[in-house]
Amino acid sequence: MAETEAPRPRQRPIVRLGIFLISHSFSFSVVCCTAGVLALLLLPILAKNTYISENALMPGSANPMLSNQDVLEANRFVKDLIALNSKPRGSGIESQRLIAQYMKDLGAEVNYHKFHPQITQFHPLQFFSSPDSGTVERNISCSFHGVNTVGITRAPRGDGKEAIVLVTPYNSQKIKQAEALSLGTAYSVFSLLSRVTWLAKDIIWLVSDSQHGEYAAVSAWLRDYHIPMFTRLHTVNAETCPDINYLYDVRDNSVTGRKIYDGFKRAGTMAAALVIKVVDRSETFDDNLNIYAEASNGQMPNLDLINIVNYLAVHRQGFRVKVEKLWSLLDSKWLKNLGELFESVGQVVSSINPQWKFGIPAADYTEGIATLASSLYNQALGVPTGPHGAFRDYQVDAITLELSPRASVDKIIRQNDFLLRGGRLIEGVILSVNNLLEKFHQSFFLYLLTSPGKFVSVGVYMIAFALLVAPLPMVAASLYADAINLNSSQNNEKTVADEPGTALRSLKWVNAAKKVFVVHLWGSVVSLLPYFICQIPNRSPTVSFIIWFLLSVLSFFIMFLILASPFSHAKESQLHLREWAILKSVTMSATFIGLCLMSVINFSTAELGGLLLVPMCLMAQPMRRDIRVGSLSTLSRLAYNLVFCLIGFPPVTFVLLKGAFEGFNSINVGDFWCWVESLWAWSSATYLYIEGILYLFGAERGSTITRNSRSEEAYLAICQLVLLILCVDSFRKVVHPHMVRTVRMLNHCIVLARSL
Amino acid sequence: MAAKEGRFWGWAFASVIFRLILIYFPNNLNLSSRPEVSTPLTSLRRLAEGYWLKQSSLSPYAGSMYHGSPLLLYVLGPLTAKSLVFVIADVVNALLIRVIGQNLQISYNQRLKALSLDAIPKEKAILPSRDIAALVYLWNPFTIVSCVGLSTSPIENMAVILSLYGACTRYGPETPPRKLFDGKVEDSASSNHSHRAMKQQGAATIFSWKPVLKFLMWSVVWSIYVLVLCGLCVRHYGGLHEMFKRTYGFILTVPDLSPNIGVLWYFFAEVFEFFRNFFLIVFHMNILFMVLPLAIRLNHRPCFLAFVYIAISSMLKSYPSVGDAALYLGLLGLFVNELAGKFIDMQFSFFLFCVYVGVSLLSPVMHNLWIWRGTGNANFYFATAMAYACFQIVLVVESVSAMLSHDRKLKKLSIAKHQESKSQQHSTNDLSDSRTRTTVKSAVASWIEDLCILRNNAFLLSI
Repeated sequence: MAETEAPRPRQRPIVRLGIFLISHSFSFSVVCCTAGVLALLLLPILAKNTYISENALMPGSANPMLSNQDVLEANRFVKDLIALNSKPRGSGIESQRLIAQYMKDLGAEVNYHKFHPQITQFHPLQFFSSPDSGTVERNISCSFHGVNTVGITRAPRGDGKEAIVLVTPYNSQKIKQAEALSLGTAYSVFSLLSRVTWLAKDIIWLVSDSQHGEYAAVSAWLRDYHIPMFTRLHTVNAETCPDINYLYDVRDNSVTGRKIYDGFKRAGTMAAALVIKVVDRSETFDDNLNIYAEASNGQMPNLDLINIVNYLAVHRQGFRVKVEKLWSLLDSKWLKNLGELFESVGQVVSSINPQWKFGIPAADYTEGIATLASSLYNQALGVPTGPHGAFRDYQVDAITLELSPRASVDKIIRQNDFLLRGGRLIEGVILSVNNLLEKFHQSFFLYLLTSPGKFVSVGVYMIAFALLVAPLPMVAASLYADAINLNSSQNNEKTVADEPGTALRSLKWVNAAKKVFVVHLWGSVVSLLPYFICQIPNRSPTVSFIIWFLLSVLSFFIMFLILASPFSHAKESQLHLREWAILKSVTMSATFIGLCLMSVINFSTAELGGLLLVPMCLMAQPMRRDIRVGSLSTLSRLAYNLVFCLIGFPPVTFVLLKGAFEGFNSINVGDFWCWVESLWAWSSATYLYIEGILYLFGAERGSTITRNSRSEEAYLAICQLVLLILCVDSFRKVVHPHMVRTVRMLNHCIVLARSL
Repeated sequence: MAAKEGRFWGWAFASVIFRLILIYFPNNLNLSSRPEVSTPLTSLRRLAEGYWLKQSSLSPYAGSMYHGSPLLLYVLGPLTAKSLVFVIADVVNALLIRVIGQNLQISYNQRLKALSLDAIPKEKAILPSRDIAALVYLWNPFTIVSCVGLSTSPIENMAVILSLYGACTRYGPETPPRKLFDGKVEDSASSNHSHRAMKQQGAATIFSWKPVLKFLMWSVVWSIYVLVLCGLCVRHYGGLHEMFKRTYGFILTVPDLSPNIGVLWYFFAEVFEFFRNFFLIVFHMNILFMVLPLAIRLNHRPCFLAFVYIAISSMLKSYPSVGDAALYLGLLGLFVNELAGKFIDMQFSFFLFCVYVGVSLLSPVMHNLWIWRGTGNANFYFATAMAYACFQIVLVVESVSAMLSHDRKLKKLSIAKHQESKSQQHSTNDLSDSRTRTTVKSAVASWIEDLCILRNNAFLLSI
């Protein structure tokens, strides 16, 4: 028993290593944070070339069968569609009827799918429940509906249990040339596939009615596909909505006399889905193919799907494949310099040993960073970049292929060529997917693209994140250990009976944990407030923003007075430093847990949040003490903290960024509300983030400031300070990815939200 | 004191209200389908299914849905629609824990007084440990989740706590280590009245079989009674053999490999079929191997031993759920003064708390990644299960070592005190003589009682 009292002479190496790290936590955290940021910047260099992992896919192993005959048919179809525009009345219904007619002539099974775009509803726990758990209330007027047309070709060699989906969004009210072309491309493929003998999976062609948004139509169809509705919705609607009645009349009078089945047709589980879009862009010299892959909450389709599209487009059909980039980053000076630096380092390395491949050309590096930033931004935002996002919610891999022809497609030869190549690309992809025996599972789901042919896998980018957040537990442990030691040494000096809390000195953290918990609770209340604010009818964004602000301030006060009651403690000023240290360590560990959780849910959000939060957490110090000491270092730290606070304040950041890009005259407070609304409409993890993490900082700041100033200052003054900073933090929730945002994307977001 | 009472009842009442709110607004929380909450053994849906089968004169075990006792169907079956039962069960559990805590505290204080260390445990500022334990049980998110998620684990926990309560009320439970008294005896042996003390000790250490036999007899009678009732219930559906196969056989052979927070499902999904029996034996022997050493080491603290047993069994059982964790975490609160008191710290309490929070949040996330998103796989979920098991192991090891060093400290203090008093002993010979005699007597008596309770506990747990 005496041995336990004496300090142990030899400890195990891992324990010694841990103690060493904890005792040097400051230098350790500086090194780790720098390494984390550096590793993030190195990602384009560490990216690997993509490869097709699933052997069954065999892309490009067969000659394309799509012939000029199919293209001519498609041309006729496109012409008929565009001709519909000149007809005045009911062109929407007409176009669906025309498409159904063409599908039926190909021998496909056709049905219409009537839907109401779902009202954007905020479910606080949607992330943790299954996608279909929310019941949908339908009380929408019938003027607000859309009609999808669905054609299904049954596979001659299949058993009807698997399917591949083609989606072509188009606006049924006004069909543009590009939309008609995308329909034509899909039609040419569909007409080919209705004849071929090798098909083993059914082909579903969904012509989605995008007059209420592309995403809404597809997601409504998917919802009805996966969740059988046993009530006949349209029979109810038929009584009230004349438009739909008209559709049914038309159907009955259709030329061939065959009836169109008015139920919902299904074709088994979906192996993959391709969304085909054609856009007019005249600036390019080549036929372009843009791939959009980001689904909701940073989910990505299997990399193999992107790989086969990329392979076929580049090596077979001669498209120029692109993924989205942040264009503003391409011109930035410092990135170029950094790229040149890395390039020269790479040259030095390869001169030492030619086996070592390190470094890429500076231009490639800049492009890689721009692509990576865009990918990170889109994933972090959690808003899907197209209708393909709806498929991911049902575990179907889907991407959007955006084809843009070289020049305008007025000439018929040019148009034929374009249709032929686009159709052959899609035919090749479908041929590959048709070969699949199982779901996509071989390749990666967690990756970031740096170019269409290069990717960073989860094992690599996690290193950057791990380095970034590693200081948090270290510093927390060292703070905690210091506080405990301080505690015990003080206890030895003092008599024990004085302090009530010392009896449970190892449970000292319970108090701090309580405080952190209360601030979190407040955070979740604030984040749930918009749900209730939305119930208020006739509100403008500005009004709702102000209501939100006021309510969160109010709820903070209530919580502060009832639950936290930090004023009941804090009797002796010597205790402050120690308690503050424990509070900080609890906060940091909670941040660490939250960031790690978030990195599992949505890596990009965690990475960007970590970039913002980790320095904040590491540097946070009681403000009053800094002011009182007044030396240069403390004042600079204070300034740093304040600046970070300001950056973290979402409306401020929002305004600054928007001002920088668009000029300050167009700013409206309500815009921020719109943005927030769009985020929770998509149940973005970014929004979920608040509840867990960002308030921590509020916890830390709020409590420390309260604690340290209370002994010196009047109540009112503190309240103002605390209020200022805490409320600042309350709105930080959604905005930490601001660093990489451009206003174009932002507006896109808002438009999306409004269109929903 | 009254204010503290009031605070306790206020918090307890608030927890009931909180539960009721959660139960009557369950639209968003699909808790009863979470694998962490409802296992094949505790799922209320399965119980309802079994009840329905019984009502329609079918075997309740048909279709491998229900795996509990047939008697439970009679008790709980009609109540499946009312989730209020579980709230009541939780409250009863908390109250029982509180009473156990009270007993523990009283006996602990008595022993300390007997060791003339009575000045030590004065905790005025905080709630007494019994209230802490009860509130920890009531406000533990695991308890709330398993109550709101309609699993039968509150009822099962009630059975365990009830037996613990019975054991604690019948005999005064906790003591500081018996070696303390030995030390005292040795010390006093050097003094002039040693022979009398030795004689006392020799007389009292003769093991008395009477309480043991009594206990065995009663347990045999009770089990026969229960078995007969069960046999009556299932006599048309294959008899007791079928019942044993579907209940205990289901637990022991682990045929249901649906994911849960334990580690066995993954292991037995991976293992080759012809090794299955071997590994079943290995895993179940694991629990049995730990029973005896722990009983020897902790024989002076039967209640704490019960906590350790419960923690270990909830770690290694075939279908663990968060309800089991709720039980042992609640019991852990009973020992908060010993584990985190003035003598000894549980050093890793903060770390354990963080892991606890992290794992319990990570588990649904990983499940979501695996089942709903399809980007993860079973390994993701199993990783959290492993982390959870490690966390439990660390918790048990830490608490046992903290408890042992607490007792060591006590012994040191008492020896020091005794040596102080020995200098004055010669003047007060008669007084100390009588005191020693009573102390030794009580110590030996308590040791025997402890043994009985220990067996009692072991028996209950093995059942």
